[in-house]
Amino acid sequence: MAISYWRRRDRYYRLVGNRCSSCGSEYYPPIYICRRCGSESLVDVEMPNTGQVVTYTILREVMAGFEGQQPLVLGIIRLENGVKVLGQIVDTPPEALRTGSRVKMVFRKIREEGEAGQIYYGYKFTTL
Amino acid sequence: MGRVIVASVGYTKVGDHWDKSILDLAVEASRKALKQHPNIKPDVIIVGNMFSSQSSRQEHLGALLASALNLTGTPAFKVEAACASGGVAFNVGYRMVRCGEATTALIVGVEKMRDLDMPEASLALTMAESAEYTQFIGASFLSLNAMLARLYQETYNVTRDELSAFPVIAHRNAATAEHAQFRKAISVEDVSRSPLVSDPLRLLDCAPIGDGAAAVLLTSDGLLDEEGDVVEVLSSKISTDIFSVYEREDMLTFSATKEATSKAFSEAGIGVEDVDVLEIHDAFSVTAALSVEAMGFSKPGQGAKDAAAGLYSIKGRYPALTFGGLKGRGHPVGATGLYQIAELWLQLKGRGGLNQVDGCRVGVAQNIGGVDTTSVVTVLARR
Repeated sequence: MAISYWRRRDRYYRLVGNRCSSCGSEYYPPIYICRRCGSESLVDVEMPNTGQVVTYTILREVMAGFEGQQPLVLGIIRLENGVKVLGQIVDTPPEALRTGSRVKMVFRKIREEGEAGQIYYGYKFTTL
Repeated sequence: MGRVIVASVGYTKVGDHWDKSILDLAVEASRKALKQHPNIKPDVIIVGNMFSSQSSRQEHLGALLASALNLTGTPAFKVEAACASGGVAFNVGYRMVRCGEATTALIVGVEKMRDLDMPEASLALTMAESAEYTQFIGASFLSLNAMLARLYQETYNVTRDELSAFPVIAHRNAATAEHAQFRKAISVEDVSRSPLVSDPLRLLDCAPIGDGAAAVLLTSDGLLDEEGDVVEVLSSKISTDIFSVYEREDMLTFSATKEATSKAFSEAGIGVEDVDVLEIHDAFSVTAALSVEAMGFSKPGQGAKDAAAGLYSIKGRYPALTFGGLKGRGHPVGATGLYQIAELWLQLKGRGGLNQVDGCRVGVAQNIGGVDTTSVVTVLARR
């Protein structure tokens, strides 16, 4: 996990997706071939850091690697450029969350592998 | 291209098989199917399985099963497409027999899930999703479907009790199905008041974790010397969609299922009105609703409402989940697609017992991997 994580650090730390040089479509996660025009010319670009909650859930049964973090609040966020991103929503009482709530990206710890293991960082969202 | 016949089926009960390994289960189902035709030896063995590497530290399932069945020499391999592994394995075997590459094929779906604890099982299931962008942030497969359920309810004004209709149908049918994991009927209130696991989804919206294996023996036409009707495969089609649901513009249309259905129905020469019995992929209540909508049995937004009104009940116009579906019969993921084929075979042969749909002639199975990322639709008919 550690190597694949490091490989993607720009994606996780700054929400770097990509943009099609031909038609301008933007993507996160980044893609290889533009879904709109078929161009293979894509350049890295940072996504806008604010958006709106399209849908969300409070997950009570977490996966291996996230034990002790339950419940996790997860949402699909539509960013200002229209791109949808999946992320955790933190520092917000779940009962205050609504479809349409405005959120911004924050940089946080995602999880750690025990006391001596790797620590993973990345983006989460918090309500504005 | 010749006609392809489902010669026999075999399966284990779904549930907790603490005393059986993944190979024990696969062998048990295979032998049940094979012993109905002692003179037929499969030309190929195809295993549908999703995560034996996680659950049993075992791969190379094709040769492992061939060797255990004393069928050494037979080409054998595993096919994987997440929860659609069984349906896709069936599709591969069907196409091999249809084109003449094989005259007989044994297709076996198997999954050993109960050796994993809940967080491990949840992670194993989420391998159907992006490791880098879904698993990484802690979003499980359950949570993605929960977000879809909220969107579905808010977009189409679907009530909590309407969402509960498919699990109720599943359990009603599972109650009288010998191989089902949960032989127990439940009420709308039971579902709507069960504990929240990932809101708005509750425990009884979700298919359970269980062990099981199901096998199907396919032959080319003319090989069977049986009297009477046979069950023929009319078509089987696979389609795929943009990988993760959040990458799709329209998250509430199951495009892969829509396309696979359209192609499978067109090749079989049938329309929705010709379908007598329907096995859909009800991994979650919302999945069942979006599936019947994509297949054209219900209008967009009406799937759960139609289920609540009885359209998919055993005595309804389109009897679905006739032995309990994923929710009631159980969902040993790689085996599910083959349980569906086996159950359609029982129905079309008139061997459905207490769950028999009277006079059925055409059956359809829909098996999904991911959030409708892969979809397989298969049409069977009694001839």
